[in-house]
Amino acid sequence: MTPLTRRDRGRRSRLLSAAGAGLLLVPLAAACGSGDSGGSGGSGAIKIGVPAPLSGDSASAGQDILAAAKVAADEVNKAGGVDGRKIEIVEADDQCSAQQGAQAAQKLLNSKVVAVAGGYCSGAAVPAIPIYGRRSVPFVMDASTNPSLTDTGKGKVFRTCGRDDNQGLVAAKFMTGPLGAKRIALLHDNTTYAKGLADAAAKSVKQAGGQVVYEDALQPGQSDYSPVLTKVASTKPDVLYFTGYFAEAGLLMKQRKSLGLKFTLMGGDATTDSTVLKTAGSAADGYIATTAPLAKDLPAAAKFVSAYKAANNADPGPFSVYEYDAVKVVAKAIDDAGSTKGAAITGALHKIKDFPGITGPITFDDKGDRTDPLYITVQVKDGAFTAYKKLDKSGATWVDAKTS
Amino acid sequence: MSEFVQYLVNGLTIGAFLALIALGYSMIYGVVRLINFAHGDVFMIGAFAGFGTLTTVGVSGGMAVPAMIAAVAVGALTTGIVGTGIAKAAYVPLLSSPRLALLIAAIGVSLALEEGVKVLTDARFKSYPTALDGGRIFSGAVRVTWGQLALVVISVALMAALWLFVTRTVTGTAMRALAMDRDAARLQGINVERLILTTFFIGSMLAGAAGVMYGLYYVQISFGMGFLIGLRAFTAAVLGGIGNLPGTMVAGVCIGLVQSFSAGYVSSRWTDVIIFGLLIAVLALRPTGLFGERVVERA
Repeated sequence: MTPLTRRDRGRRSRLLSAAGAGLLLVPLAAACGSGDSGGSGGSGAIKIGVPAPLSGDSASAGQDILAAAKVAADEVNKAGGVDGRKIEIVEADDQCSAQQGAQAAQKLLNSKVVAVAGGYCSGAAVPAIPIYGRRSVPFVMDASTNPSLTDTGKGKVFRTCGRDDNQGLVAAKFMTGPLGAKRIALLHDNTTYAKGLADAAAKSVKQAGGQVVYEDALQPGQSDYSPVLTKVASTKPDVLYFTGYFAEAGLLMKQRKSLGLKFTLMGGDATTDSTVLKTAGSAADGYIATTAPLAKDLPAAAKFVSAYKAANNADPGPFSVYEYDAVKVVAKAIDDAGSTKGAAITGALHKIKDFPGITGPITFDDKGDRTDPLYITVQVKDGAFTAYKKLDKSGATWVDAKTS
Repeated sequence: MSEFVQYLVNGLTIGAFLALIALGYSMIYGVVRLINFAHGDVFMIGAFAGFGTLTTVGVSGGMAVPAMIAAVAVGALTTGIVGTGIAKAAYVPLLSSPRLALLIAAIGVSLALEEGVKVLTDARFKSYPTALDGGRIFSGAVRVTWGQLALVVISVALMAALWLFVTRTVTGTAMRALAMDRDAARLQGINVERLILTTFFIGSMLAGAAGVMYGLYYVQISFGMGFLIGLRAFTAAVLGGIGNLPGTMVAGVCIGLVQSFSAGYVSSRWTDVIIFGLLIAVLALRPTGLFGERVVERA
């Protein structure tokens, strides 16, 4: 019909990016040689790549991530930089899509970044990982939580955020525990992240003795999800767990309220963006999300939050703290390695132990995941996400998330 | 049963938007034989113009209803002007070129509008101030809100007004004449260029009004919002027999119902497969649309 593809989660430029990747970037990549990380010479700034969705439906999350990376870099530079050299953030727009994700990765490698710290959508990270991997550039993710990313990352992929099998487990325990839900509905949007989280949650719900009465995808970008919600309601669930992104979450809350549906609405960690609150208004009250702790509930993050506010005149996004830690941990690894070679930085990242991140002490396991579980639940109260419940150390009982 | 009625209500609401947007495709096709692919983005511009108005005026207290009416008016006027400007700058100079040149110009305009708004709005979602909250007519097993009723009533009123305009006024008659035969119309003393611009003005105004109503109803708007809904409205226009105004209105509502019922009884992820499958089937089996491309009433 037309060369335009559907909606702007990056799919529009499928043809362009395919052509671009095929014609332009591959020869460039070949010309740059392989094996070596490229490095950025002996002097000048050390470049750290930050891929994020800077346009499209997830743009607001991506911009919050980029802003946090800049705050972290500023801080490192003010403290004298790394090995006496400044660090420089190089941004690339991945539009939350696989096509643009690959293109963004190439763009960063062409700019000679020595390490990458960023990303948002797991779907955009999937094609990027082998591209960084071939050049041995370590990739520290701040928000991409799909389990397969580190499972297949050959030890060169790390993350400061959690994993969705972990999140799904916490969600299942919460729904069947404190919420006392028996019948659970799962709604995703067919993206890598959302489907992965829904599947993980389904598995854990069944193990916890709950019943999955509905598991299906909505079609993102439609605006009217009343038919989907009506369908979900017909399966009589106690809880609906929506594992997609914030662009749809606010609309779901609003339309659930105007349809007068009684089930509890819960979401994953991609639904805690402030866009949701603006869209849903009073309909957001009582909404629960599973997420890693948010910036304002992390005592160690206070200094970062004020620096972020001063620089951006806005509150940090839900993943800003994880991006800050990702950039800081990369800077630390470069410093430890005393080199800008990818393999040396990767080795140094694996050796990091209890790095004092603002999201807690950071140690990576062999795969590159953090060793301690992160997920808690938050609830919307008086128009803001506030810490709600978390599992205690034993992983069996729920305690108030604020009391510690 | 109550679910069936709820799907019907939801489908009618979605269909009201689609019908309003589809009319613009149909009218413009009628007079210039152009599928105006920028039409969905004109709809998006309307939503942003309305957003600007509402955030400037505010919707607190007794100001809510006048502010909403003002927003719809400003949105419609803005898109009317933008639509006419696009036609004057990009389409009218190409009227005597091959049809393909017009189509490519339309796609270019569509991308330019979208990317332009993306730059101006820092690519983030904008949320309309909540003005249509609460207020239900029925709140039993089936929910109908005042917002939904207002939407459907306003859409029907706008469509009726358009119908009267096209069939009862001199300009409307001239439009129909133009749709039948451009050269013959010119020989009758019709100012073809001005009439084309008038058609763009009216078609774009309908899309702009729909854009503001969309913002008021769904709250969340973004630069890419016009794309998918534009394609669906285009499908409705083809389904109704492009150029056939009553057919387009009915088809718009039908597509809304298909969207709602397919999500309810099949799965939401099949919605687009079904809608665009329908488009292909109509193009293959009945290229003049379900209700026929009625040349006489083309406007």
